[in-house]
Amino acid sequence: MSVGGIKAIVSRDASRPNVVLVSLLLATLAGWLGLDAVSVAPNRIVPGQGHAAWDVAGLPGLAISLLPMLAVLWLAWRPSRERLRLALALVVVMLAALPAWLALAAARLVDADLPQARMGVGAGAWVALFLLLLAMIELRTRLSLSRPLGWSLLLAPLVSLVAWLTFGLEPLALRQEFQGRSAGFIAAIGEHLLLVGAAVGISLVLGVCLALTMRRWERVRTLGFAVLNFLQTIPSLALFGLLLAPLAWLSAHVGWLAALGVSGIGWAPALLALVGYSLLPMVRNTYVALDEVDPGVIDAARGMGMSRAQVFRQVRLPLALPVILEGVRITTVQAIGLTAVAALIGAGGLGTFIFQGLGQAAMDLVLLGALPILVMALVADALLGALTDLLRPGGAT
Amino acid sequence: MIELIHVTKRFGETTAVDDISLRVERGELCVLVGTSGCGKSTTLRMINRLIEHSDGEIHIDGQQIREFREESLRRRMGYAIQSTGLFPHWTVERNIGLVPRLLKWPQARIRERVEELMAMLGLPMGEFAGKYPRQLSGGQAQRVGVARALAADPDILLMDEPFGALDPITRETLQEELRDLQSRLQKTIVFVTHDMDEALRLADRLVVMDQGRIKQQGHPLELLREPADDFVESLLGGEDRGLKEAALLSVSERMLPLSPRLLPRERVSQHASLREALSIMLWRHAERLAVVDDEDMPVGELSLRKLVGAKAHD
Repeated sequence: MSVGGIKAIVSRDASRPNVVLVSLLLATLAGWLGLDAVSVAPNRIVPGQGHAAWDVAGLPGLAISLLPMLAVLWLAWRPSRERLRLALALVVVMLAALPAWLALAAARLVDADLPQARMGVGAGAWVALFLLLLAMIELRTRLSLSRPLGWSLLLAPLVSLVAWLTFGLEPLALRQEFQGRSAGFIAAIGEHLLLVGAAVGISLVLGVCLALTMRRWERVRTLGFAVLNFLQTIPSLALFGLLLAPLAWLSAHVGWLAALGVSGIGWAPALLALVGYSLLPMVRNTYVALDEVDPGVIDAARGMGMSRAQVFRQVRLPLALPVILEGVRITTVQAIGLTAVAALIGAGGLGTFIFQGLGQAAMDLVLLGALPILVMALVADALLGALTDLLRPGGAT
Repeated sequence: MIELIHVTKRFGETTAVDDISLRVERGELCVLVGTSGCGKSTTLRMINRLIEHSDGEIHIDGQQIREFREESLRRRMGYAIQSTGLFPHWTVERNIGLVPRLLKWPQARIRERVEELMAMLGLPMGEFAGKYPRQLSGGQAQRVGVARALAADPDILLMDEPFGALDPITRETLQEELRDLQSRLQKTIVFVTHDMDEALRLADRLVVMDQGRIKQQGHPLELLREPADDFVESLLGGEDRGLKEAALLSVSERMLPLSPRLLPRERVSQHASLREALSIMLWRHAERLAVVDDEDMPVGELSLRKLVGAKAHD
């Protein structure tokens, strides 16, 4: 029934252009032609020289690169299910070909005699990357592909990216920055994940306990929300600074805390501050989730003779779970970003590269820190979002 | 059997239910009716201890309800409410099987019982068992709610405006089905509503409440004919009472046996109410109707004079 319905929608739309896809592709074309594809610099210090797409492969090469874009544009003009499938395949191919295109640019534009010469990814290529990803999402929705299938479509571009990074993209500035710091990079990702995981884990446990207490005692609720709201308004750097003195004092006077590694700077104040920030969204969502379960359902559950524990475990909690997970999702994404700032007080993590890069005016080093944070946040968002959908009452929506 | 003896409920300063006494016999359908805030829902919820009464005694089958454990008391009573209270994360089958599962019936017996109930309430197992509540229409959801209340075959059924949120046609169908079920199952039912037509249609015993007190109770016809005061009279419909009474009386009560006279062309079923018969007369401009049985065979006749005539039969 529903499959038939979707088919009907697709075929009814077949006569009309898919406006989203057409505009995305037009923007991609404009960016590809109008913006710099790459920038090349002889060393790390001097600013790079921009190169447009036709510098990379000449006019014939440019023409070839335009072909799949025009093809998708044409397919999106009169979309049928088959045409959209073909368009999706073309978009995936383009995404997978992007690293190869960068390798070609590196081979042709970077002077092999200069060991310090490097190539940065230009605005044109970034724009193409993001718009094509959006096009992929649009096509996935139009074709109503399942979530796992949608994710697996990213596999080909990812494999291509890893392969080219390993074998053909030595001059890429990002890779050069990584080259000298590979061990540090892996460690930083580990630290980052550990801090985020610990902060979210601790605030989840604390948050659920707090929310349950607040549901029982009105006084705790007003006081608790006031404190948490206040915490949220302190700027993160200031909070790190405020924690410095008391924690330093504690580690000097309490032996076992010092032995644990607690001090005024490092992971301890970072974790404390992260938990402080994470608590509000966690508590608020948990509280609201538990509180907003339909009172009629709870009344029926009790009227049917379920005990308090049964009502909570079998009815209230499962119905609240999607909203609670929503809180975990918000908190996680927020903590992934905030942990970057924690690098300033020596907590490690990917923020280290960002602040080093800012200090040295090396934008590619900043990117080396920022890009993984972006990816982490997107992946966490998608995974927790998928989990939330899975747990929604009454199965898939 | 349910018995309330001088029961009072106070919430702080306000008295929600004020010294009421009420006896509902086994197999009786008792409807509590009144304006909102009159204490009818509170009264219902005191019977299964969702609200604890402040004073007086409530007995079921001669035993004080405070002697039961809350949960086991409630599992002995079916409970259906206006919002249905179906669990949105459970299928229809699981929702209906709730109380039997709480009572730890064996799986096979639960399944068998659910199947039986779904058949009884016109919900084909194959089509509905796996559905979730939000996939149901209002009427279907309320049927599931009633099935769930009946699941463990309780003697007592408590219903708090169960049909209040339904459209008039669905509501009437479900009222019909409830009457039908009741004639077969003979449960002891306490039914709360603010809809007087619903109350009159369903009640064996009608209890009119106002400001926490019982104003009058008895058979619907008793209340219609001899309302205790102006409040009961206006609640029962004032000038409309004649029609409401006619709706409760059947044609067979007033018809005359077949006579040698020529039968009128317009006909009415012997099971129809006097109100329906009157409506047909008005519509057809007929003063006499032929009364027919289920096979459409004439069994008597009804004249307008006879219809509006003296209350000879009671």
